[in-house]
Amino acid sequence: MQPERVIKYSTWALIAVGIFSLAWWLGRDPTRSFAESVPGLDNRGAGFGADENVIIGELFEDFGATFTELSETWPRFRGENFDNISRSGIALKDKFPATGPEILWSVDLGEGHSGAAIWKGLVYILDYDEEGRADQLRCFSLVSGKELWRRGYNVAIKRNHGMSRTVPAITEDYILTIGPRCHVMCLDRKTGDFLWGIDVEKDYESEVPLWYTGQCPLIDDSVAVIATGGKALMIGVSMATGKKLWETPNPNGWKMSHSSVFPYTFGGRKMYVYSAVGGMAGIAADGPDAGKLLWEVPQWNKSVIAPSPVCMPDGKIFITAGYGAGAMMFQLREAGGNFNVEILHEYAPREGLSSEQQTPLLWNGHLIGIMPKDGGTLRNQMVCVHPSDPKKVVWSSGPEKRFGLGPYMIADNKMYLWNDDGKLFVLQPSLSGYIELDMAQVIPDGHDAWAPIAVADGYMILRDSHTMVCVDMRK
Amino acid sequence: MASDKVKSRREFIRSGMRLSLALSLGGVAGLAASEMTGDGHVWQIDPFLCTQCGRCATDCVLSPSAVKCVHAYDLCGYCDLCGGYFKAGYNELSTAGENQLCPTAAIERKFIEEPYFEYHIIEDLCIGCAKCVKGCSSFGNGSFHLQIMHHLCVNCNECAIARVCPSRAISRVKASQAYNVKGSFTKES
Repeated sequence: MQPERVIKYSTWALIAVGIFSLAWWLGRDPTRSFAESVPGLDNRGAGFGADENVIIGELFEDFGATFTELSETWPRFRGENFDNISRSGIALKDKFPATGPEILWSVDLGEGHSGAAIWKGLVYILDYDEEGRADQLRCFSLVSGKELWRRGYNVAIKRNHGMSRTVPAITEDYILTIGPRCHVMCLDRKTGDFLWGIDVEKDYESEVPLWYTGQCPLIDDSVAVIATGGKALMIGVSMATGKKLWETPNPNGWKMSHSSVFPYTFGGRKMYVYSAVGGMAGIAADGPDAGKLLWEVPQWNKSVIAPSPVCMPDGKIFITAGYGAGAMMFQLREAGGNFNVEILHEYAPREGLSSEQQTPLLWNGHLIGIMPKDGGTLRNQMVCVHPSDPKKVVWSSGPEKRFGLGPYMIADNKMYLWNDDGKLFVLQPSLSGYIELDMAQVIPDGHDAWAPIAVADGYMILRDSHTMVCVDMRK
Repeated sequence: MASDKVKSRREFIRSGMRLSLALSLGGVAGLAASEMTGDGHVWQIDPFLCTQCGRCATDCVLSPSAVKCVHAYDLCGYCDLCGGYFKAGYNELSTAGENQLCPTAAIERKFIEEPYFEYHIIEDLCIGCAKCVKGCSSFGNGSFHLQIMHHLCVNCNECAIARVCPSRAISRVKASQAYNVKGSFTKES
């Protein structure tokens, strides 16, 4: 064959191969074996209990027990002053006797993390009756542990890292509770008579938070304050009548978190500070514009929020959350009746004071808390910071002293730390370091002891996931 | 006399050589027999020492790594919000790719009943990066954990991951107890 022909045929052959290869390359889908990750692959159900007809307050039992009237109170989540610090003058133990803590009584509860409130010799706790499938507000004698009465309602709750998880609010006249599925119940404190109730999930189209409601209700003077999420951000309800007094609109559809509403007075205004799923807000608490949004921080948008805001006298507000959220410190300012916010610090959990579940203590001008598991080298340690720089650690408990998700509070100038496993630590609050005075196993084989501590008249109420105990802490 | 002396020296050396060879062969045969019939050793991860550094995915001589995530179902909370499945700052609790922590979508999420979801590791897709293990350990019960899968592992004389493991979580274990799973949630102190 002549060379020209060879070249000619080879050229055409190459062109043909090239065209074929191009067509193959263009026609081939390299992603044909890929599977799309789209919503709905988990076949998620429609939710449970949405059509369940809950009759709030329908159940009542009177056990005819008596109680010893005492003088002190621990009337709500974080106590009288919302700071988890007792002002009682009663001296408390800083060392346990050789025989261990004096446990006066013990009561089995449904699985959960709800905490107790105390009113002049009576203990109130919202329990979930697993056999009866009912939320029950139970009233016990503080001294004897005898149950006086219980009031509740049937509602279906399944185990989901516990069931109950809120602390009732108590006044001389009223008891206010929020159940796992957002049922608000108001009772007469002395008799347990049912006064009124709200099904927040139904009435406000709210989404029950993951692992059920953690928001503890607030009674502010004669007003019940509930952060509903859904159709409203927050509502104020008359304790006497159950009628709604005001409502804060929720145009951005913020959702209910596990955080609780905290009253705060700054710049001449009393307000309610709330950390919702979607953002943080300050809402007018009184006057003709009660319920009006005074300020908001949409930058604080975290998916799971359990700790409550820590509001400081100078307008600084600290908020933290778990699940990788970290923390934020911002400065609230007032000018001519208007409020604005400047974010001072925003950081990941490994960079500074953060907390997954408990609200840090503001003590002696410093913040004290326990770091979450994703807190880097400080994970699970107790740390102390100054609000001017929450990323700079003043002291930490050290790698040998790590704790879980349990609560900590101050009484009689001692800090009591209730660890996950049912151990009670007695610490000396200090700005110089972690000082441990004593420790005792209060609940043997304790598990998930996360409920807030309540203390009054020298009696301390502690619980783990299944057991509530009363410890005589008087010196 | 002299020739007898030389002969006996040679004989002595030969005998010594024979004995050494016999001992060596016997030793090798014994070692091989013990490997065949008794406990050999393989590499495995202690999940309680693992710090989820990510080196299992990058330092194994195999690609993808012979290290995979395994799931201790008896420890799992079956949560809707699973710290091992969803990344922090997820948009919604759905199976959409942008919400998932796993870079290869190796975790299958299935609704069981309200409020429970089951999570299943697709071994073929898992690259052993430990992102899910870190999420589960930080926010959940720690039911996700890493193990060296012995149907994949080539059992190198010196494991390339063990050499760089910062917490020395990888060690030789008896082949008869080749896995160190967390299921019973026990840890010898």
